[in-house]
Amino acid sequence: MARQMRRKKHYTFGAEGEENSIDYKNIELLSEFVTETGKIVPSRITGTTAKNQRQITTAVKRARYIALMPFCDAHD
Amino acid sequence: MRHYEIVFLVHPDQSAQVSGMIDRYRATIENASGTIHRLEDWGRRHLAYPIKKLQKAHYVLMNIECDQDTIKELDSSFRFNDAVLRRMIILMKDAVTTPSIIASEDSKAAEIRAAEAKAEEAKAAAAAARAEAESSVEATTEDSE
Repeated sequence: MARQMRRKKHYTFGAEGEENSIDYKNIELLSEFVTETGKIVPSRITGTTAKNQRQITTAVKRARYIALMPFCDAHD
Repeated sequence: MRHYEIVFLVHPDQSAQVSGMIDRYRATIENASGTIHRLEDWGRRHLAYPIKKLQKAHYVLMNIECDQDTIKELDSSFRFNDAVLRRMIILMKDAVTTPSIIASEDSKAAEIRAAEAKAEEAKAAAAAARAEAESSVEATTEDSE
């Protein structure tokens, strides 16, 4: 399975304090891992590690629960 | 004693009662010899999707350390309070005391607004001074004619 496009973006989480840590309150950071329609991007596209992807997923789902992030782009 | 992080959303029309609610919760926690490590009031925020047909809600964040009975009491008080729209209680490993990102954004926005207001006032004062100078010049020219 030779993938021509191999995106390996290395993210340093938690290295510079709060702004880079994966937290459900850090909406700016989380919105980089979410599509325009609000869906979570798979890690094979963003290149994040498995551990970080799991933390991002729980953070996004918590943010969605308290309406800091939307579930989809067409809410009524 | 376990550490918890609580976010709860209050109906925007009951924003005035939020401080009273916070005092009551504080009393509940301190009576059970717990501590509040961080308390932030994010104020009214626009929701990402409507909850109970509302577009805005009043957000409050609390980081507390207390025992399990107190947290059950708090949870039931949230559940039976009609003003609280939603609550989220998360178990944390340690206490957190640094201001959250959302709180620091709000303070930055408030600072920018204050600076803009001052700049506008300065401009208005300068414009008023200029208008006065012009009117005095006109008056003198009229007198001479």
